[in-house]
Amino acid sequence: MGFFKKLFGKKLDGLYAPMAGKAVPVTEVPDPTFAEGMLGNGVAVIPTDGKVYAPCDATVDMMFETGHAVSLVADCGAELLIHIGLETVGLEGKPFTIHVKNGDKVKQGQLMIEADLEAIKAAGLNTITPMLVCNTDSFPTFEVHTGADVTRDDVLIELGK
Amino acid sequence: MKEFKHVIADPMGMHARPAGMLVKAVASYASTVTITAPTGKADAKRLMALMRLAAKQGMELTVTVEGPDEDKAAAEIQAFLAANL
Repeated sequence: MGFFKKLFGKKLDGLYAPMAGKAVPVTEVPDPTFAEGMLGNGVAVIPTDGKVYAPCDATVDMMFETGHAVSLVADCGAELLIHIGLETVGLEGKPFTIHVKNGDKVKQGQLMIEADLEAIKAAGLNTITPMLVCNTDSFPTFEVHTGADVTRDDVLIELGK
Repeated sequence: MKEFKHVIADPMGMHARPAGMLVKAVASYASTVTITAPTGKADAKRLMALMRLAAKQGMELTVTVEGPDEDKAAAEIQAFLAANL
């Protein structure tokens, strides 16, 4: 029974939506750095609200000073990068309010960053937010759920080792 | 072992795009590539480690390349950094 449980009953780890909005395949991000999977496979959200939440229980690995991106090490082992908007590094932090710091333990759904989406748009930039698993190769099972309007309560990626 | 230095010229520093491009450029070599910044040390084949350096414009990076293709790798990585970071 243990064997079958292992084979068929294996629980996948879920990564929830980091922002509310429309979930789309990462290949639809109009930036090859993300769309070509250079940084890892993942998903993207076209956000309708600027709040950025932890997609799972994790440790904050690197909160960029500019607030435009954060990397996390998930409790399940996934190395995650959430990049709020495209080319937003150039905004030097202005539209971002940071709520966590390096080394913080975060719970799924916890507020990490608030982005002023209107300010990003006013700067002429795209707010689409990719969430990537940088160590994609560590997860043979990698299921992505896109196409729907999502909130932080919706699973976007399921990972299995 | 080959070693060289590079001072970051990109005003944005080592953000996601140059870090990703560097990982991609380095992945094809058999050699181990290590980048040392004033903020720490990173395996250049690991994106998360590179980003954790939070390397900024003006910081000096020391790049060490060790392995069977170190001559070729060091020359090409040096050219890559000069062009992209």
